[in-house]
Amino acid sequence: MTPVHPTPSWAHPGKSLLLPAFWVVLMLIAGGAVRLGLFVRESFAAYPTATLTALVLFGLYAVPFCVFVAALDYLEREPPLLLATAFAWGGLVATSISIRGNAAVHNLVAKLASPGLAAEWGSALAGPTVEEIAKALGIIAIVLVARAQVNSVLDGVVYGSLVGLGFQVVEDVVYAVNAVAVAGRGDQVAPVVATFLLRGFLAGLWSHTLFGALAGAGIGYLAVRTDRPLLIRLSVAILAVLGAMGIHFLWNSPLLSLGGGAGIFGDLFVKGIPPLLMILFLVRGVRHREADYYMAQLAALGDRRIATEDELRVLAHGHLRAGARRHAHGRCGVKGRRAVRRLQRAQAQLAVELSRARGINVPGLRIAPADWPPPPAAGVMASRTTAIATTEVAATPPAGLPHIPTAGMAPLPSVAAVEMAGLPPTAGGETAAVPAAGVTDLSGQPSTPVDGVAIGVARVAAAPVQARVLGGPSAVRWRDRVLVERGRMLALGHPEATAPLTRNGSVRRVVGGIAIFLAAMVTVGLALIALGAS
Amino acid sequence: MRVARGTLLRNLAGSIGVLCTVAGLAFGLPAIDSALPAVRPAGTGPYPVGGGVTVTPPPGARLDVTLTRPRDTRGTAVFLVGTVRYVIVVAPFDGSLAAAAQRLRDKITRGHQITGKEFPTRTTTGLDGVEGTYAASGRSGRYLVFLAGDVAIEVTVAGSAPALRAALAAIEASTRTITYRGGKP
Repeated sequence: MTPVHPTPSWAHPGKSLLLPAFWVVLMLIAGGAVRLGLFVRESFAAYPTATLTALVLFGLYAVPFCVFVAALDYLEREPPLLLATAFAWGGLVATSISIRGNAAVHNLVAKLASPGLAAEWGSALAGPTVEEIAKALGIIAIVLVARAQVNSVLDGVVYGSLVGLGFQVVEDVVYAVNAVAVAGRGDQVAPVVATFLLRGFLAGLWSHTLFGALAGAGIGYLAVRTDRPLLIRLSVAILAVLGAMGIHFLWNSPLLSLGGGAGIFGDLFVKGIPPLLMILFLVRGVRHREADYYMAQLAALGDRRIATEDELRVLAHGHLRAGARRHAHGRCGVKGRRAVRRLQRAQAQLAVELSRARGINVPGLRIAPADWPPPPAAGVMASRTTAIATTEVAATPPAGLPHIPTAGMAPLPSVAAVEMAGLPPTAGGETAAVPAAGVTDLSGQPSTPVDGVAIGVARVAAAPVQARVLGGPSAVRWRDRVLVERGRMLALGHPEATAPLTRNGSVRRVVGGIAIFLAAMVTVGLALIALGAS
Repeated sequence: MRVARGTLLRNLAGSIGVLCTVAGLAFGLPAIDSALPAVRPAGTGPYPVGGGVTVTPPPGARLDVTLTRPRDTRGTAVFLVGTVRYVIVVAPFDGSLAAAAQRLRDKITRGHQITGKEFPTRTTTGLDGVEGTYAASGRSGRYLVFLAGDVAIEVTVAGSAPALRAALAAIEASTRTITYRGGKP
């Protein structure tokens, strides 16, 4: 079973309108928007400058998080409307629930135990329980509204982190405005800036976005890994949400806190960075599994004009993709960078489209018999991808793109494609026999009839066959797009979207980034200590 | 475009589950909170307000545990003497007594009006402060500000005029017991 469940071809966004969950989510978001709107209106009336500053600062604060999430979500991008829904749930619904729920839990602790316990442990008890459940509901709501769009555990991470980000941004704005009110010095910006430094910089990285990502991974696993027993999937989801609660509890609790000004650094290094690293490590693993799956779609085509081995390696990693764009910029300027970016986008999209035409035994690929469809003319539908691509691109260039004749592109030797699949080349590098009666999977079992368009030729290690890979019109469009971008790159004299191996450069960038990050943290911490914000 | 009946039913069940959980958090928890009493007897001994400040509550005073929060560097204690609210807020402050008084007056004037003059006051442990009065429609109030160490102690007492008159003596006696770090310099 694969770690990815591609969106089925029958999935239609309009179907969500027929689901009760859609209307429940819409109603709750509308209610949260009214509540937040009232708060913002009152805040503007009392502290216009401070409120505007808080909205702008924390709005900008969300940008790098969104960029990071977009990089995570590069290969199989989530619909923007769903991402916005996740953010809105966190910012409007989860915060509205939490304001009431948190106050109640604080009061219950004070009533059932003591005000002292509520003061010291109230946040540690209320925050993780109420807030994490409220945010997890948002991820569940996304699954209910658009189940077909949650294709992998990584998608759960993406939606979870956006729910958390929405929560974090709105909560920080509320905290900033409250800080202005508590300071009692009128419409001052200083408390907003102090809140931004404290909650944004020092406490921001290991805050709700991180907790949401962890919970999202668990709920994504529950939704996607239907090959596993329900009990195991449920256990993983519950453990992930409990993990998010645990990290949140640790952060909010007085445990492991040094107190005083130095406490900022204690919290930072003891309670902040370890969970951050742990969850980043988890996300990295999940991302690689998804990337491996999509790269297998392209690799199975065995067509170096679609993607070379090096390009597949680069396409799977964000920093390598960026490195390839930089390399192209260095060699061919802006045009080179743009061409590589477009090629990478088209390759990723083609991989997704191929995965949507799922097959049997070869995840994401539908295999047609060698004689499907009946060849329109002798030689045109030869099993070589090059031949198919050349014919179709020449006939139908994608809308809005210039026609680039591909006839001049030399077909790559079949050895490369065969090596990619770890197979010895067949005689002549051409088509091997595939049963002709209907569509048959690679184990020889009859399968349902398929319809689609030939994209390329699969060479599969499990059985020494080559058969056409089918996809829908979207797959054809993206394949053509890949070929067009490849043509552009060839014209620029930069045929491959890769960069020289720069391990040292990568290490330098990572070490430099960590050093800058730590220096920024220490500077902000010292500034806050100087301001007496500890 | 249609949705299978089974999918629709599962989706409905999930939606009801989400809605019920939201309702439980947003309305159920506050309902349980409201069902439990918020006040309890304050006791007779010194009560730790927070930030190293203690006070002996007036006899018969009740403590509102939902608003009282003692912490290491700051704190709030809310007592009820009959219907009169007697609130003590301790917060870090590095300004002068006049500045602390001005800050409290600014807070009060957001919903009330300062009435009369401000005059000096002193606790039995030697904390110097200032005292004044304020009013709003149907309610009268007193405020006191003390400066001790690195904290400001703000005291507000508010209630209807007759209730305040009845409770004032006991509350004034209580404010005189305000102590910072056990009365040590």
